[in-house]
Amino acid sequence: MTCAACSLTPTTSPAASFNKSIIQKWSLNNGAVLFYKKPASSILTRPCAASSSSSSSATTKKKRKKKKKKDEEEEEEEEEKDESRSGDDESSSSMMKRLDDVNPVGLGRKSRQIFDEVWRKFSGLGQISRTIRSDEDDEAVGGPMCEFAIPGAQNTTVLVVGATSRVGRVVVRKLMLRGYNVKALVRKASQQVVDMLPTSVEIVIGDVGDSLTLKAAVENCSKIIYCATARSSITGDLNRVDNQGVYNLTKAFQDYNNKLAQLRAGKSSKSKLLLAKFKSEDSLSGWTVSKGTYFQDVVATKYDGGMDAKFEFTENEEATFSGYVFTRGGYVQLSKRLSLPLGSTLDRYEGLVLSVGGNGRSYVIILESGPSADTTQSKMYFTRISTKAGFCRVRVPFSAFRPVMPEDPPLDPFLVHTFTIRFEPRRQRVTDGTTGGNQDLRSFQLILEYIKALPTGQETDFILVSCTGSGIEANRREQVIKAKKAGEDSLRRSGLGYTIIRPGPLMEEPGGQRALVFDQGNRISQGISCADVADICVKALHDSTARNKSFDVCYEYVAEQGKELYELVAHLPDKANNYLTPALSVLEKNT
Amino acid sequence: MALRIPIHHMTMKKLNSHSNGHTPLSWRCNLATDALLSPQSSIFLPSCSPSGQVKPLLVTCASGAAPSAANLAPGTPVRPTSILVVGATGTLGRQVVRRALDEGYDVRCLVRPRPIPADFLRDWGAIVVNGDLSKPETIPATLVGVHTIIDCATGRPEEPIKTVDWEGKVALIQCAKAMGIQKYVFFSIHNCDKHPEVPLMEIKYCTEKFLQDSGINHTIIRLCGFMQGLIGQYAVPILEEKSVWGTDAPTRIAYMDTQDIARLTLIALRNEKVNGKLLTFAGPRAWTTQEVIALCERLGGQDANVTTVPVSVLKLTRQLTRLFEWTSDVADRLAFSEVLSSDTVFSVPMTETYSLLGVDSKDIASLEKYLQDYFTNILKKLKNIKAQSKQSDFYI
Repeated sequence: MTCAACSLTPTTSPAASFNKSIIQKWSLNNGAVLFYKKPASSILTRPCAASSSSSSSATTKKKRKKKKKKDEEEEEEEEEKDESRSGDDESSSSMMKRLDDVNPVGLGRKSRQIFDEVWRKFSGLGQISRTIRSDEDDEAVGGPMCEFAIPGAQNTTVLVVGATSRVGRVVVRKLMLRGYNVKALVRKASQQVVDMLPTSVEIVIGDVGDSLTLKAAVENCSKIIYCATARSSITGDLNRVDNQGVYNLTKAFQDYNNKLAQLRAGKSSKSKLLLAKFKSEDSLSGWTVSKGTYFQDVVATKYDGGMDAKFEFTENEEATFSGYVFTRGGYVQLSKRLSLPLGSTLDRYEGLVLSVGGNGRSYVIILESGPSADTTQSKMYFTRISTKAGFCRVRVPFSAFRPVMPEDPPLDPFLVHTFTIRFEPRRQRVTDGTTGGNQDLRSFQLILEYIKALPTGQETDFILVSCTGSGIEANRREQVIKAKKAGEDSLRRSGLGYTIIRPGPLMEEPGGQRALVFDQGNRISQGISCADVADICVKALHDSTARNKSFDVCYEYVAEQGKELYELVAHLPDKANNYLTPALSVLEKNT
Repeated sequence: MALRIPIHHMTMKKLNSHSNGHTPLSWRCNLATDALLSPQSSIFLPSCSPSGQVKPLLVTCASGAAPSAANLAPGTPVRPTSILVVGATGTLGRQVVRRALDEGYDVRCLVRPRPIPADFLRDWGAIVVNGDLSKPETIPATLVGVHTIIDCATGRPEEPIKTVDWEGKVALIQCAKAMGIQKYVFFSIHNCDKHPEVPLMEIKYCTEKFLQDSGINHTIIRLCGFMQGLIGQYAVPILEEKSVWGTDAPTRIAYMDTQDIARLTLIALRNEKVNGKLLTFAGPRAWTTQEVIALCERLGGQDANVTTVPVSVLKLTRQLTRLFEWTSDVADRLAFSEVLSSDTVFSVPMTETYSLLGVDSKDIASLEKYLQDYFTNILKKLKNIKAQSKQSDFYI
């Protein structure tokens, strides 16, 4: 460039000053980077033109020819602007002569680069603001300016089951846009399926009906979104995907979490806290059996039938709490003061899980809380649990406990000091079961295996897209709902933080257009777009209010006059607004 | 599908050569299919050349809808969620793609085949199809099964403006018409009808006219300026302490965030009321170059090294470059200087548009907010990098 300018203009003085001014200006701007170009520019104006034009390659010549003209105009304005800067320190610069600097080829190239830059900026002024951007530049692709960016998304791997379903496809896209790592569980990696999914999605081949294949799928995942559904209404198919599939996957995911917890020697945030384990004779110590009645003032009723209970370790190595209550209003209970391991408090846990067996009675669990030194100030909180005939695990969240005295504040798990399980003959239901027709509802048997506290989590682990049942043909509905319900139940029992979304009939249309209704209790009647369901899934991932909730969702509908019974929360999903939190915070947990 | 694209009807005539200093453009286009015998309407647009001459600009287009094209055959109905984005790798295009994907559309992107494919589009879940507007034979295959076309394409500065922006667009619109595309959204430039001396604006204006005459269901959206463009032009140089070039032009531009444009576009897309309309999107406030630089300086906490180029110099350069044919695209690139010198305000009141689309004006990002976010993020990042480099010094 330098050379081109020099050779073209007859008088050297403007050209020289032009060269100088540009280069010096740039050395000013770029400080250290271009510093030692200065001496070269001041010494060499003419020689450079001759030698570099001869030595430089043919390609540069071509380009240069095109630029000749531009240079001419460039001179004019450069002169007027930059004259002021031309007086610069030349004494210090001459010290820094290097062999490299006087190399005419390198010099020509450098000055060409500088000129190109100046020209680019200059011509940029003459344009409507357009960004000239190279394709590798991904500033806008996932940069901080992106409204979709979610902090921590890069460290979160989400497994999407049913990634090719109507909802699943949009879920995958939304996750990708937000920068999550996405794994997709597919049955076959056929070309069609692969084409449907974004290229960076990790495809795992497996089947939710086959628990062995799920092990690999849940590896490294921290969240699961389950939007698969059976393709047919054949009962076997429904069971396999909607019921057994959910069960298998929760199991695989729990196994994986447990594995992680074991690796961290029980110190993981996923580890449960063992409160009591009944595996030996000794473990029964500390538990006391007591009895009482609700009508203490009526002496007569107290002795009319009698009651008895015992807690013993049987020969089959089972800790059994059994007995009978014939007294009207009587109860028997088993209680213990909890001794927590050092450094752990129950407020970091969100509920209890009991592994019990027996003949399927329902029990009342009572937690006493208050300062442990002074039991007179204890407050009692109760909840009712039902068991099944045979062994089962019962999950009781702390939020389910109600104070015995209605004026007491809600349960604070931090203060809990005594655990009681009480049997009372009231409100027992006949269970269809092994005990036969002559079962007496006043006798009971409860085999205790362990009591653990469930770790609390801020976020949901498993999002299940279920259905409300509306919009399915009547002859299929029963079966579908049965399978879906069974799936939901196994998820609730799994101990994972769950969110169950029951959308109305799905519609294939863009989302974010209409207000949504979040509700519980199977009352909704409208449809909803797949994209909105997907949006709820993605939003629920990091929303603490979505944890352990089941809810129905559909488009807003106008209730008929006089039938506005419900308190419904509606909000139009819009840019960056989080409609989910306010909508869900009023809904019940653990329903 | 039997397709007859009347590309061969389209002729481009240059009435004048470049040597007389300006290049009046004239295109004769014909959108008549052979089956169609409807009367044709011709529109003569006065094209003002800078020297004051008036040349007729002829755009001829078959008026009236072509009933044969819209309902071709009873086949699978096209899903309204399937859209094609042309120019998907661009500043605006990528935001449109992202927004559309997020709203649950099935997005197809028309991109030019290139050695390094635009992987980010595929990563987001869009389907990428290869095609080139300058090669009309590649277009029809990409339009199969598409309901709506969103056209955000503009030729790159370095390529001749006519191939993509005019010939390519004409071919695309003709093809869309022939294949019964149900909606065509076209992005144009604000005030493009007032500045026919700027080639890009003239082309955009002619394309608008062509689209309106084609009878296709369309929406034209005129834009003022992108905030994203300011980052590279002012914010980055200021942070890197390089020189910033600005003009002293009094022109004001109401810059707008492309994410907002994309959002409004998709709202407009679903709104039946805007069919066939011309909307103009503008940002909340119009800014001069000097104001933008001052804002960047304030937010960046650094004084900029500003080089102010008088508009007269730009104009002079343009005049000089137009003298020779081989500098004509340089002249085209500087053409906007004509607009800059004309003291225009690139802005429109948006209240009506907001109410038409049902958008709250509070949701539209202002330039102050946008740049503030940018600088906060970048400065935080720089801090992190500095902290890291200090740590690594320890090991060296």
